[in-house]
Amino acid sequence: MRLYLIVSASPSLCPGDNPQATHLPRAWAPLARPPPHGSRLTADLFSTNPGALKSPVSEQTTTPEDQRSPEDPLTPPPPAASLTPEPHNPGTPPDLFESVAEGPVVVQGGSPKLSSVPLDLPAGGNGGEGKQQDTSEPPVPPSSILPPMGAPLTPPVVPITPTATPSLTPNITPAAPTPVTPVAVARSSPEQAEGDGGDEFIQITVSDPQKIGDGMSSYMAYKVTTKTNVSYFRKKHWSVMRRFSDFLGLHRKLVEKHLHSGRVIPPAPEKSAIGTTKIKLGSDKNADSGSLDFIERRRAALERYMNRTSTHPTLRADPDFREFVELDAELPRATQTSALSSAGVLRLLNRVGETVNKMTFKMDESDQWFEERTQQIESLDAQLRKLHASMERLVNYRRELALSTAAFAKATAVLSSVEEHSSLSRALHQLSESTERTQTIHHAQADADFYVLSENTKDYIQLISAVKDVFHERVKTFQTWQHAQITLAKKREAKAKAELAGRMDKVQQAQEEVTEWEGKVERSQEEFERISRAIKKEMEQFDVMRVKDFRDMVIKYLEDLMTSQQQIIKVWETFIPEAKAIS
Amino acid sequence: MMDGMEDVLPSETNGTKSGRSDTVDLNDSTLQVDISDALSEREKVKFTVHTKTTLPDYAKPEFSVVRQHEEFIWLHDRFDENEDYAGYIIPPPPPRPDFDASREKLQKLGEGEGSMTKEEFSKMKQELEAEYLATFKKTVAMHEVFLTRLAQHTVFRNDHNFKVFLEYEQDLSVRTKNKKEKVEGLFKSFNKSTDEILLAATQKDVDDYFEREKTFLLEYHMAIKDATTKADKMTQAHKSVADSYIQLSSGLSQLGTIEGPRLEKFINKVADTFEKARKVEGRVSSDEDLKLSDTLRYYVRDGSAAKDLLYRRLRCLANYEQANKNLDRARAKNKDVHAAELAQQNACEKFEHISNKAKEELNDLKARRVTAFKKNLIELAELELKHAKAQAQLLKSCLQSLPEE
Repeated sequence: MRLYLIVSASPSLCPGDNPQATHLPRAWAPLARPPPHGSRLTADLFSTNPGALKSPVSEQTTTPEDQRSPEDPLTPPPPAASLTPEPHNPGTPPDLFESVAEGPVVVQGGSPKLSSVPLDLPAGGNGGEGKQQDTSEPPVPPSSILPPMGAPLTPPVVPITPTATPSLTPNITPAAPTPVTPVAVARSSPEQAEGDGGDEFIQITVSDPQKIGDGMSSYMAYKVTTKTNVSYFRKKHWSVMRRFSDFLGLHRKLVEKHLHSGRVIPPAPEKSAIGTTKIKLGSDKNADSGSLDFIERRRAALERYMNRTSTHPTLRADPDFREFVELDAELPRATQTSALSSAGVLRLLNRVGETVNKMTFKMDESDQWFEERTQQIESLDAQLRKLHASMERLVNYRRELALSTAAFAKATAVLSSVEEHSSLSRALHQLSESTERTQTIHHAQADADFYVLSENTKDYIQLISAVKDVFHERVKTFQTWQHAQITLAKKREAKAKAELAGRMDKVQQAQEEVTEWEGKVERSQEEFERISRAIKKEMEQFDVMRVKDFRDMVIKYLEDLMTSQQQIIKVWETFIPEAKAIS
Repeated sequence: MMDGMEDVLPSETNGTKSGRSDTVDLNDSTLQVDISDALSEREKVKFTVHTKTTLPDYAKPEFSVVRQHEEFIWLHDRFDENEDYAGYIIPPPPPRPDFDASREKLQKLGEGEGSMTKEEFSKMKQELEAEYLATFKKTVAMHEVFLTRLAQHTVFRNDHNFKVFLEYEQDLSVRTKNKKEKVEGLFKSFNKSTDEILLAATQKDVDDYFEREKTFLLEYHMAIKDATTKADKMTQAHKSVADSYIQLSSGLSQLGTIEGPRLEKFINKVADTFEKARKVEGRVSSDEDLKLSDTLRYYVRDGSAAKDLLYRRLRCLANYEQANKNLDRARAKNKDVHAAELAQQNACEKFEHISNKAKEELNDLKARRVTAFKKNLIELAELELKHAKAQAQLLKSCLQSLPEE
């Protein structure tokens, strides 16, 4: 039973989706950090929980409990109790998607010690979300767990409510003392974890797009093949089938879980209503080149997306990611990704709110580093966009060149057939063939222009947006902190007033409020500092990766260009003797 | 673009009206014409036609005059209308100097100046100016070819109008046709084309050879015209690709500045390579244009002139047959027989003369065409090869230098 509890807490599960439960254990194996018994405990505890969230909630409350027991001499039960109100707090209706997201995160957090217990864990997998080659970090939650540890359970909650402020989270998390140690511990792990990323190898390919079903309910499924030597995966090489909305769902979950901890989440390919509908409605036979093109673009984009995500040590260890890559069955529909769902509308509203926020709130930047980086990011963004535009122009012109060369080849063929002088006719025929070959080369080069250069640059523009999002998260935490400080001041004032007025009952209450807000201020400050640190670290890694990617992209492109030229050389070399042979 | 030198058959000289019997060789120094200078003013181009001659007809052994495009057309028309030359292929007139496309591009560039960096702007401006210069050179070359062909043709060179054109120091006061004349001209060409069609439909050619030639020329003309348009489009597209490298290159340089030390050197090298690659691509495009498109284009026009010749001959044949009929009628009526006989004889002579000439001219055209194509195709292939090699080399050295960072 308990197993099922955990299982049902899987990110991709919808509440009542029991049938899935049976499949999940496998996927969950590596992740089965959450000690079964731990969860069982909490499950009971949670019977009192305002039914808003189901098992997931229990999950999240479970783990802190758990982790506390193995890791810190903290009182498990009481905090758990205090936790109860909280899960409900994130005012969102059981948006399973969201709450579910928390589940795994939390689960992971508690796992380290208990890794041996649960379902068949891969040997090295102990708590090894953060790519543990060295399994020496059991107590330390992988970097991705950092948030839950640091601000226990704060992160999971934040995404749920649009306006969720860190101040809410403390309620969920056990009393203040708890965060301290985990934070200290956790801090070292990310560095360690990230540093060890070097020897690991993971490569994902997305292939074989297939159309499943028919008409409007049809969709494209892609085969996701993973090759890896990372320890916590169950196999070295395997494939699963995934549909496009699965990818989007994964992205959403990752964003929710990690954005506020200062991570840059690689952006997923965009939805395209037109392209998708064309494919849905088109039959297999007359898939025109336009939709084939669209499918190819999408497949390539998905592949890049998966590889980028898997390169990131933290994201790679994320249970959602692992499940996505490993689960050998259909993932539950991530319905929340569709634009028209309630979650979609909610997201839209969030986005609007955030944009307004971005525009109106001017943060008092005390950190020089952030000041510079923000500016650099902005100019990088603008410049990349310009560059991308000129790349698109290049692609278009080259495609035009390929087309006009083809037309010319045909015209020359006609001319050659009309020409009465025989050797000239032969030469012209050769010219036509040579041009035909050149055309193919041009066409291939245009494709290279597009896929290697233009699409990658576009990805980078999107990545930069993701970076901007992370920066903005930091601004938000700053805002929260400020707000907390202001409120604290007010509460203090209120207390002073009450004292003056001699209203002892009011004073008592005011005192409580002051204490409460003092705590909040402290926590939000910590949160702010934590996210600042995390972002700095993240950006370092991002920079390294970005530079490497860019160089690779340019080098590959130049190599392609060179190959084209060499092929052109061959074409003309074969033509010259023919031309000379004209008598 | 220079077509092969006209191999003037020695037998020509015997039959020519002027009775000149000097041997004409290819690099005839007795009459050398070239365009030594050209000036491009707002709407027109002024060509300085320079002549060197040893012929006694001319007042001075060496002299120059300034001519404009319209005067070239005037000269061509004089030849075209001259019935004596009916049997010859009249060298096609040079096309009007057309700088509109370049001007338009320059203007668009000026408008878009704000949106690009200074270097980008200056580079594009340079490109456009180079393009303008290239167009200019081409038009000069085409005018020159026209004159050279005339100068070397045994018959044409002695034409009086040609002499006037070369010598007369004043303006030939060839005004562009005013409206009336334009309308007249239009009518004439309209008539001509309907006549052509009529003749083609009704007039059966006596000579099989000409019949074949006609069909061939028609087909060929269409095919080559098509090929020319496509070739033009292709060179245009090539040029656009080359030009877009400019923006890529400058965009990259700017990115380099922003990126900072880590990527800057790398990016700058790449930007540089793109810049060089662009120049090579640009040259590919212009060479293609020169060797391929222009050759095709020239032969379109020459083919057109050949068609005209055939038309004239056909017309002549029609006249001849008409004259025959007239003669028969006259004989039948026994009226004006002598006049009719004379007319018929004239027509007969004319026709035979034309037929003979035409045969020679057509063979000549064929030979010329083959030579020109051969020459230009070889040159085209060699240039393309050279450029492709240069680009490959450029890219290779860039790739080699990159990982060194």
